[in-house]
Amino acid sequence: MDLDKPLRRVSIFALLLILALMINVNYIQGSEAENLRNDKLNSRQYADVFNRDRGSIIAGSETLASSKESGKSNPKYQRDYKEGLIFSPVTGFFSSNGGQSGLEVAYSSLLDGQDKRLTAKRWFDSFIGKPTKGANVVTTIDPRAQRAAYNALKGTTDRRAAAVVMDIKTGALKVVASYPSFDPERIAPQTGEKGSKELQRLDKADFKPLVNKALNETFPPGSSFKTVVAAIEMTEKGLNLNSTVRTDPLILPETGRRLPNSHEGGACKQTAPLISAFAESCNTTFGRMALDMKAATLNSGAAKFGFGKKIPVEPDLLSAESDVPTKEPTGQPLGGDNLGRSGIGQANVRATPLQMAMVAAAVANKGKIMKPYLVDKVRADDQSELYSANPQEFAQAMSSGVADDLKQMMLAVVTTGTATNLQGRNIAGKTGTAETGIGSLNSRWFVGYSPVESPRYAFAVVTEGPGSAATNAGNLAATIMSAVRR
Amino acid sequence: MSSPSEPAPQTPRTGASLTLLVFAMVVTLAAFAQVGLARDGGLPKGLFFYSVALPVLAGTAYYVVARFTPYADPVLLPLAVLLNGIGLAMIYRLDLDTSRTKIAAVAAGQKLAEDEAKALTQLQWTFIGIALFVIAMIMMRDTKGDQRFTLTPKTLQRSTYTLGALAILLLILPIVPGIGGEVNGARVWVFIGPFSVQPGEFAKLLLVVFFAGYLVNKRQALSLVGKKIGFLSLPRARDLMPILVIWLITLGVLFVQKDLGTALLYFGLFVSMLYIATQRISWVFIGTGLLALGIFVATLIPFLGHVNQRIDIWQNPKPYFDGGCLLDSGKVVSVAPDTLKPGENGFGKCLQLGGEYADSAQLLKGIYALGEGGVLGTGLGQGEPWRTPLSFSDFIFDSLGEELGLTGLMALLVCYALIVQRGMKTALAARDPFLKLFAGGVSFVLALQVFVIVGGVTRLIPLTGLTTPFLSQGGSSLMANWILIALLIRMSHDARKPPPQAIQDEGMTQVVMTR
Repeated sequence: MDLDKPLRRVSIFALLLILALMINVNYIQGSEAENLRNDKLNSRQYADVFNRDRGSIIAGSETLASSKESGKSNPKYQRDYKEGLIFSPVTGFFSSNGGQSGLEVAYSSLLDGQDKRLTAKRWFDSFIGKPTKGANVVTTIDPRAQRAAYNALKGTTDRRAAAVVMDIKTGALKVVASYPSFDPERIAPQTGEKGSKELQRLDKADFKPLVNKALNETFPPGSSFKTVVAAIEMTEKGLNLNSTVRTDPLILPETGRRLPNSHEGGACKQTAPLISAFAESCNTTFGRMALDMKAATLNSGAAKFGFGKKIPVEPDLLSAESDVPTKEPTGQPLGGDNLGRSGIGQANVRATPLQMAMVAAAVANKGKIMKPYLVDKVRADDQSELYSANPQEFAQAMSSGVADDLKQMMLAVVTTGTATNLQGRNIAGKTGTAETGIGSLNSRWFVGYSPVESPRYAFAVVTEGPGSAATNAGNLAATIMSAVRR
Repeated sequence: MSSPSEPAPQTPRTGASLTLLVFAMVVTLAAFAQVGLARDGGLPKGLFFYSVALPVLAGTAYYVVARFTPYADPVLLPLAVLLNGIGLAMIYRLDLDTSRTKIAAVAAGQKLAEDEAKALTQLQWTFIGIALFVIAMIMMRDTKGDQRFTLTPKTLQRSTYTLGALAILLLILPIVPGIGGEVNGARVWVFIGPFSVQPGEFAKLLLVVFFAGYLVNKRQALSLVGKKIGFLSLPRARDLMPILVIWLITLGVLFVQKDLGTALLYFGLFVSMLYIATQRISWVFIGTGLLALGIFVATLIPFLGHVNQRIDIWQNPKPYFDGGCLLDSGKVVSVAPDTLKPGENGFGKCLQLGGEYADSAQLLKGIYALGEGGVLGTGLGQGEPWRTPLSFSDFIFDSLGEELGLTGLMALLVCYALIVQRGMKTALAARDPFLKLFAGGVSFVLALQVFVIVGGVTRLIPLTGLTTPFLSQGGSSLMANWILIALLIRMSHDARKPPPQAIQDEGMTQVVMTR
């Protein structure tokens, strides 16, 4: 009997077994490698990164975060942060127990040289056995303005504060400041055990220093939200800044209680031109507008500015969602007192400072909002450009006519309205003093644009504490904007 | 290729073999140099030692092959030397890490594997392995003397049943209390003084001889047809006896030694040889059915839970990372250290929960090593393969995958494929049914072993503990595989040398015998 035929078959089967191994190895190392490297159980990605020469995070001519050799073999590199308290809302942190935030996480693969955009370079590097140097990330931040902003925020509150400044023509973020803050260098890889303890402490600390209040914390916007309500009303009803609106007392429909104005007299008496009601921030006017337009219109009108969704800043870096609810917390449709109070940015309306800066940007830029971004360029170690920001339109929130009217209305706030103390500071904007429900503490806002003539920047600042917006937030904004304009 | 029954006389290819061997040496020593250059920026201190030791060993092996089996397949020896050398270089690289990066990582508080790679020990085993190869080649040489004392692959047929009994004895040894022992959950070890041996590696070869001898005798009977169902020609019921016996032995291995890999290896080997001998595809179906039944039964038996669990880990490893507990409900609860209170351990916690404990961290770390390597690898000496436990033995394939990348692994798999293919070709060219079965079985068992272990560490099939031929750290495996190569080389010489009548040719005989 011939053995050759079955032998050949078994021989082919044996080779098929090895072929199966080859296909499997190709699948794992060829197509799955990237996923495996980023698998969250894979501790190599954390252990490895400390031993890689990570790129720098740069703002203007200043280096915010950089790696240098530690002289030890593990971690081989230490991560240094310049003025971490000031710049941590931008850089984020990078720690040995695997936690990361801010640009450190959003641009991690480029910073540590593992990104596909660096692959072509890496092939060559791996051939000549050169360790990969990460790419450098150049942010849009103006370091001097950021520094001025943080120091100014710190002086206004012993609670929370934040400031955002955005270039209205591009969407580039010039200032992203948050208080209280943290120093990422104290939790960087080189700190070992001590750093993990510090990170745990920060995680539980009052006012959450690890949370970036400029992008990821929402506050009640108070009267600054009247900008949004006015824009919706003007669009819906075809009003302009001189249209007469009611400023007389408003009885809220549910409880029969009055919606108080901040002051009696002036424009807030019977009727007034819209510009005066806005400048003097008559609550009854905007409460009435909200009640008339109903919750759905208010919500969808605000959505045009970005409310109701997370705002993408960079890949993997989203700003928290701002909210204009259409329902009571109980789940009932919003129709009564709370709708009226929503019109003045109270009740359950909440906004991030970034969102309010985008509202101001729409006002100053003929209704158009540019998508905010934080990274201008990414350069490889050899200065070749791997990425360059491409400004994009985020939304057309209102017509340019409405926007231009609102621009003048914001200016009137400073010339004749609630913030006359800011005259001559070359800024315009809307004040907002929202009750937080905690004692006499308010969220004090100033949201606007600068310079007054041909505006270039939109801003939003918020600071928590007693007292009014104009003196606290207004002065703060004026200080920051003078640093930005310089 | 010419007609397999009458292969054309071949010329000696010793020159080609030497060229390939030199190439294998260059690759191996370059690997050693690379380890040093990548790690310390200079040639490693041990390089001189290795660059003398390896060529001397390989040169000796080459000399005996050229001397005693000039017609042998020229590729087999260089392939074995290359695989052995690459494995040695990798172990050397991991051994260096024991002393440096590892210590730094421990200082930084990172967890590491406990066992160690020992390059010098592996070099000693390589020496012993090649020495056995040389001894085997000398013992099997053509002699003019009394045929009764001649030992060639063919003469092993005389001792079919003795060798079969010896194989069974070797298989049983690890179970014997006192000398047998369990390492990493599999009872496949025998401890003799300071040495630990895996007798299964040798039993594998003896079983091939036994199966070949047995099947050559019985193949006529076994290929008789009983009933015919559809296209399947079923064997007669009484001929089922041998396969049932082997099946039971396999199950015994599985139950007592808890070694699914070895069980699969022996059974797969028997079924494939049975098929070669009888040409009855029905045997393959019966074999596969019996194996499936066996594994199914094994998963039902409570104290064999880990068979069940190994399959579960294979399909879904992540919940078991750093310790998982498979509950009766089929749910997996993590008992990883960070989920436990101080003083608890995962195994104890799992006992409390009434589940079965297992840890997939090793498998996943091995896979992550492959991911780290990608297409081109990190470069020898530049990765972190030591993060995987047993990176130098069971998981050496993943370690190589990390540092040599997909490219390197494909090359290694091609090396295995070539050995298997050359072995199969030897079987085809052999003139004797016993030798055909012998060479075919030896080649197939190598392919199957590579498939089971490499498939295991790359998550193609459930992970089982077998050694990676020539690459893994460990003496038994190296010795057994060098003997395997000696057998194949000898058989290929027999198959390829001019047909027997040529021996009558005086000139030829003189040349072969006196040189």
